Amino acid sequence: MVSRLDLLDPAEVARLGGIEIVAEGVVEGFLAGLHRSPFRGFSLEFTEHRAYQAGDELRYLDWRILGRSDRLFVKQFEEETNLRSMILVDASRSMAWRGSPERLTKRAYADRLGAALALILLRQRDATGLVTFDERVRQVIPARVKAGQWTRIVRGLLDTPDGQGTAAHAALQRLTALLARRGMVVLISDLLFDRDLALAALRYLRHRGHQVVVFHLMDPAEVELEGPPEVRFRDPESALSVVVRPRELARAYADTVRREIAAWRTACRRHGIAYHHVQTDMPFGMALRLLTT
Amino acid sequence: MTFIHPLALLGLAFAAIPALLHLLQRRVPPELDFPAVRYLSAAERESARRLKLRHLLLLILRTALTIVIVLAAARPLVRVRGGGAHEPTALVVILDNSPSSGAVVNGRLVLDRLRVEAHSSISRTTSADRVWLMLADGVLRGGTRDALLASVDSVTPGWQRLDIVQAVERASRLVNAQPSPGREVHVLSDLQRTALVPGRADVPRGVRVLALEPGRAVPNRGIAAVHVTEGAAVIELAGSTAGAVTTEPVPVTIRIGGERGERGERGERGERDRGEIAARGLATPGDRADSGLSGWVVTVSLPAQSLAPGWWVGEAALEPDELRADDRRRFAWRVATPARVTATPEAGGFVAAALEVLREAHRVADGTGRDVVITGGESPTGTRSILQPPSDPALVGQANRGLVSRGVSWHWSLSGSPGPIVAPQVSIIDGVQVTRRYRLEGTGAGDTLATVNGEPWLIRSGTLVLLGSRLDTAWTALPAAPGFVPFVDALVNRLVRGEADVTMAEGAPRVEFRLRGADTVGATVFGPDPRESDLTPASASVAIAALGGEERAEVLNDSAFASEGFSGTRRADISGLLLGLALLLAFTELGVATRTR
Repeated sequence: MVSRLDLLDPAEVARLGGIEIVAEGVVEGFLAGLHRSPFRGFSLEFTEHRAYQAGDELRYLDWRILGRSDRLFVKQFEEETNLRSMILVDASRSMAWRGSPERLTKRAYADRLGAALALILLRQRDATGLVTFDERVRQVIPARVKAGQWTRIVRGLLDTPDGQGTAAHAALQRLTALLARRGMVVLISDLLFDRDLALAALRYLRHRGHQVVVFHLMDPAEVELEGPPEVRFRDPESALSVVVRPRELARAYADTVRREIAAWRTACRRHGIAYHHVQTDMPFGMALRLLTT
Repeated sequence: MTFIHPLALLGLAFAAIPALLHLLQRRVPPELDFPAVRYLSAAERESARRLKLRHLLLLILRTALTIVIVLAAARPLVRVRGGGAHEPTALVVILDNSPSSGAVVNGRLVLDRLRVEAHSSISRTTSADRVWLMLADGVLRGGTRDALLASVDSVTPGWQRLDIVQAVERASRLVNAQPSPGREVHVLSDLQRTALVPGRADVPRGVRVLALEPGRAVPNRGIAAVHVTEGAAVIELAGSTAGAVTTEPVPVTIRIGGERGERGERGERGERDRGEIAARGLATPGDRADSGLSGWVVTVSLPAQSLAPGWWVGEAALEPDELRADDRRRFAWRVATPARVTATPEAGGFVAAALEVLREAHRVADGTGRDVVITGGESPTGTRSILQPPSDPALVGQANRGLVSRGVSWHWSLSGSPGPIVAPQVSIIDGVQVTRRYRLEGTGAGDTLATVNGEPWLIRSGTLVLLGSRLDTAWTALPAAPGFVPFVDALVNRLVRGEADVTMAEGAPRVEFRLRGADTVGATVFGPDPRESDLTPASASVAIAALGGEERAEVLNDSAFASEGFSGTRRADISGLLLGLALLLAFTELGVATRTR
């Protein structure tokens, strides 16, 4: 029986409690499954030496001491707090949708994933902040590492209502002003907005030296089209509607979605942006693990 | 196409269901939120044309599927050429066993070929059919299939000619009166052009006339008629030369078959068969030398001096050819003793002159006694008399009283209007003008031998022959006509004796004599109809026109005849085929409907 929350169905995990409980449970399980921190070596500094033991990695041998005293010592590192991470959560109206009552809305999934990610980063003593946005920026919590930061981030997520439209590029432009030092930007969104404008903003962040990670959230029902024989589908943001027969358009729609995902992945890769496609039925642990790949 | 369950066709209204569903479904689709509409719009733009075609194809397939299923439920029956069972049919098989069917073509009897086809037609009938067989005698024979097949097998060439047009009309009327769905007349004949008389059979709508295509034409010659006159046999030929013009003489042989005495018995018993060849001759073309043999005539003298008085039977014969039935023809004639004739002074000079000529030709005998008296009003008793009206009108009354005293019910009446003589039985005076005459009136029995303006002019009553005019140029042009002497000959040797001409009739070759009391007064010679000798078949167009026209009749070769028989009513239930088609349509619809799912 699976006991790690990070590997359970997100909807089932969400029923266990609020965001804090879920996020903590997920993170605990996630970290327990790792041999070492996923971000080791990324933001750590040397603290002391100790004697070499069999199994230690050779790369951490201190060659100077070996040269001087002919003794084997390995370097020990300490986590540093100078990495600044900002988590951007899309709170537009389209994120409040789910294809089935059995699943989380994209927004709920994004909140829990963001909270878990923030908890991991804060435990690594990285300064972590939050930006929520729809057609405008709703919440901004600057990156800090002090105690209670995670609670503020969770509160910020909870206090952000479902919005109307989406203007990711505006939120990203606002973010550039908040990130003076190089750091990491994690965008969690369904990417249902203008790709070129959003990419322009992400490219700018990348140009400033930030590491940029994009989580492209999709409900499984958005990947495989289903529904009654004939239906009028209405966009909750733009009120644009279209009458289709899902069964006969399913293949063409799936092709279109695949092309869209591929277009995002290609564009992101071209500019050094990490792109991850996540469906809302994917366990949180697997989504978090994408960061380590 | 007919249907076993036509009411099921009402279900065709269901064919509108796919279209209606299509329209109704498009009106009020449910509305759902879906964030990725932009992807849907893009997908729909790319697939719009394909989807429209698919919708149209599905609509057509579903409509066709509904129609096919409804049609299958109605159990349609369609005409088929081969195989399948035919609907109940009223059938008349006309098997032409006329004399011409005895011709031999390509070493095979024509009737054998016709019989095979008749056998085939009748064999294919079922117990639900009604079948009749008509032979050349025109009798419609009903009965069971086996009985009719036995009749067909026993048919031989007959002696009666078949008028195919009339036969088809009768057969058509018969089958048309039947309640059967199918009505057919199968004509199995050599389709002689002479058998298809001008005109067209009146074939009712719905009756199919199928005629077997005739075989190739073969040359044939036959004896059409033989007349004995003035001691010679006149032989007329008939037939065809299969298109070739021939002028070569045709040899004819005359045999004297037998003698029948003045007091002979009925029939041919008592004939003295001499069996000798009496004469030979060569028939040569007449005035009309065409590809046929019409007009070919030969006159052969008979050995009259060696033949005793009485009725004689002879036979004319040609050399054998493809049709043997017309190569021989019998004939009969009477060898009579010349009558002893006396003419009174009142008979007139023309009569006396004619008798003198006949006397010189030994057609009138000299000697004592008299067999026939020709008078000018008097009525001699106890002898055969030929009476002219008296030249003096004042003596007409006395002459009439003389007739009454002899028990004759005829008398001369008032003057009649001038006019030509009409005399079918005495053709030599036919058409001669009469300028003066008395009307002959009477109520008793008598034979009217000639008329003028429809009124009797020449009457035979008992042993008397009465003339309406005197045989004088002041009364009639007859004395100045070439036929006057033969007319007087006929009067004294034949008409006053009450003897009839030898007549010809259709039938098996034989001679039948007509009797009056103990005397033989005439003969009928039976033989095939001369038209049977012409074996030239009618062209297909002529045959079709005569048998009812293109809409009703067809002339077919052997194989087509076998396949076309009953095809007008041959039906096959294609509901199974339609269900198979429906299954195919359903699979196609399923494939199209699920291909893009």
